[in-house]
Amino acid sequence: MSATTASTTLWVRRPAGLPAAGWLRTVDHKEIGVLYMGMGLFFLVFGSVEAAIIRLQLAVPENRLVDPQLYDQLFTIHGVTMIFLVAIPILVGFMNYLIPLMIGARDVAFPRLNALSFWLSLLGGLLVYFSFVAGGGPDAGWFAYPPLSDRTYSTGTGLDYYVLGLAVNGAGTIVGAINIAVTVLLLRCPGLSISRLPLFVWMSLVTSLLILVAYPALSAALVMLFADRRLGAHFFDATAGGDPIIWQHVFWFFGHPEVYIVILPAFGMVSEVIPVFSRKPIFGYRFIAGSSVAIGFLSVSVWAHHMFAVGLPDAENLFFSAASMLIAVPTGIKVLAWTATMVGGRLRFTTAMLFAVGFIATFVMGGLTGVSLAIVPIDWYVTDSYYVVAHMHYVLFGGVVFGIFAGLYYWFPKMTGRLLSERLGKWHFWLVFVGFHLTFLPQHWLGIAGMPRRVFTYAADTGWGPLNLLSTLGAVVMGAGILAFVCNLVVSLRAGELAGDDPWDAWTLEWSTSSPPIPENFLQVPVATSKRPLWDRKHPDRAHEA
Amino acid sequence: MRTSAEAIGGLALVVGAIAFLIFIGVEAALLYSAWRYRASRVAGPAPQIHGNTRLEIAWTAIPLVVLAVVFVLMVGTMREIGATASANGPAAMRIVARGHQWWWEFRYPDASGEIVTANELHIPSNTAVDLELVAADVVHSFWVPELGGKTDMIPGKTNHLRLYADHAGVYRGQCAEFCGIEHAWMRISVVAESAGDFQRWLAGQAAARAAPGGTAAEGERVFLQNVCASCHAVRGTDAKAVAGPDLTHLASRRTLAAGVLPNDTASLRAWLFDPQRYKPGSLMPRVPLSDADLDALVSYLGSLR
Repeated sequence: MSATTASTTLWVRRPAGLPAAGWLRTVDHKEIGVLYMGMGLFFLVFGSVEAAIIRLQLAVPENRLVDPQLYDQLFTIHGVTMIFLVAIPILVGFMNYLIPLMIGARDVAFPRLNALSFWLSLLGGLLVYFSFVAGGGPDAGWFAYPPLSDRTYSTGTGLDYYVLGLAVNGAGTIVGAINIAVTVLLLRCPGLSISRLPLFVWMSLVTSLLILVAYPALSAALVMLFADRRLGAHFFDATAGGDPIIWQHVFWFFGHPEVYIVILPAFGMVSEVIPVFSRKPIFGYRFIAGSSVAIGFLSVSVWAHHMFAVGLPDAENLFFSAASMLIAVPTGIKVLAWTATMVGGRLRFTTAMLFAVGFIATFVMGGLTGVSLAIVPIDWYVTDSYYVVAHMHYVLFGGVVFGIFAGLYYWFPKMTGRLLSERLGKWHFWLVFVGFHLTFLPQHWLGIAGMPRRVFTYAADTGWGPLNLLSTLGAVVMGAGILAFVCNLVVSLRAGELAGDDPWDAWTLEWSTSSPPIPENFLQVPVATSKRPLWDRKHPDRAHEA
Repeated sequence: MRTSAEAIGGLALVVGAIAFLIFIGVEAALLYSAWRYRASRVAGPAPQIHGNTRLEIAWTAIPLVVLAVVFVLMVGTMREIGATASANGPAAMRIVARGHQWWWEFRYPDASGEIVTANELHIPSNTAVDLELVAADVVHSFWVPELGGKTDMIPGKTNHLRLYADHAGVYRGQCAEFCGIEHAWMRISVVAESAGDFQRWLAGQAAARAAPGGTAAEGERVFLQNVCASCHAVRGTDAKAVAGPDLTHLASRRTLAAGVLPNDTASLRAWLFDPQRYKPGSLMPRVPLSDADLDALVSYLGSLR
């Protein structure tokens, strides 16, 4: 270890004075990781502004702040942005940056392919947003059900840019997933057997394989939709022998695994953060890794729980209901394992740990409402209502985003050499945590009270006004928290406390190199002596406890 | 017999209670650990515990058992409220509900005479009816929360929904599947009424329009000579188009434009003067009419009881 740290200063990340063009032609996994995260943060600004306008419009009944045409584009692009242009790029960015470091490799398996996948992803995102310049954004919801998304009912070019953008973006994601999977399978350092992989790497591997199963279905669906819209095909046109339900099947065959594609890396980050700040190894490593594989398999057989109201035969509904309920078991294993990791530990409530614990506390709720949506008759009642909006944000915001924040506070010092401010971090956490629950908890009741999703307004006589106003106020609080986060990023990047190589006294290989790491990551190829190689080095007398 | 909503509510209560216990359990464990095991409270290094196989098997197996119980309960509820629920006997009558951008069409094929209405679904209370759900353009979803769950209306497919109201009254709902620009203003009123009231309503709706007199007769001329008649039907006249709501008994309905406005003279006049002001994106255009023609038209439509 001392050899690595001592010689850190010999290396400079890039020769001084090299123009910014270096970012354009970089094939370094860490720089590409930073590019991905930068892309995610860039689109996060758009996605957040869209969300803010949506909440302002819904604050009071029969509001006329935005017209319905714009509103439909806003909620469509909000969903597309947050899923494809924020969550995926940030998570893929983390994977890119961290996986070679965590497995003791110099780079990913295919560095140039890695650059290609980033630039494709970005191009796809820009294409989707170009629709607004070209005359109007997509306006049929992020899952774009035909016939509404057919040219007959969506006459502009918004849906065409949605198709082209997501196809290109998806190609980038597929290429990136191949890269990650091959890297994990082939480039592990000596001693790092599959059963010693850090859990973040385990879950990234499952995510990558899931991408390879799910994303081609999205590509196929998009090609069919484009053929219907522009080439006179009739895949989804019931008036010409097509069937709009086919789109729903193919889209959700992608769409539901997508939820696990984005939540698994977040699970992985939390699985790294909680042990380090509990000063204990993860509780039940094998069960956590195994349950991720189980989630991977189950997640491709649950898609039709999005379609219980479609009128499928009972036998199909029961199958998808059972499979969807089953997925609660491996998910529950994780929640209990994280909690058990904390029990008996020596907890340090850094901002990273706060977000990790906030993640568990919030995600449990999203998981349980998820089970209710797997139960066919309950789903008949709450599907397509604000209950689903609440559930999905508990999973995607309370789960994925809280997980990302935990990971960011944890690994930011490795990536930049500087710590994020803990003081601003606490403001960030508490404002976002309280604001989040104020925003989304009331939406469960709105859904049960009968408020459908995707309405640009609601009549005053529905009585949905007060809870909507509360939800909007929550969004204001959450927005203040996000501002604290942005301040923290800006301030800490320039003047944050210097971190050193291993600020958290952690156990995985990335903490054995400098912060930020040298271009080739390690001076010598590290050797993994156990699941926690740095524990072994720090406690040679207690190696049996590793 | 209970409504679907009550059956679903009963199931949700059981599932909700189980979920609540799990929720409280996990949150309590988290809060307790966060308080009990703070580094500042406990001295010395943490014991390095890697797991406990028995415990892990237990928390895999117990949820499986709980879910199996929930699954069985669910199947029971589905049998009770399913579209083809034979337990409740055959439905007393069929009603065809067709979703349009952005209004509802209801037809009563089992009744004598042609009965077509819009946005206001009349059913007999305490009687199961079978809704046949179809779509005219895009996917819609029929949902009246107080009566139960939702079922989609999908082009090229006929779905069924068993509808049962256990007391007379007006039940509100609205389209639940995003269907375009005016999705938010595609409301439904289900009017459940006693058998006698319902039969009287059917008889009234089966009749053609009452021949208008005076200003209303002038209004009918305005109606037939303008584009109104290219989308709407008024039975008893030459207007037979089906693109828009059937207006034969418009004045008997409670609202206009699928719940946007109350159905009174002032609202009717305002709506006819500029539909796009109240329902932007609606397929009903603004028809330029003189004040006199507009008054006559309002008088005519107001006479269609």
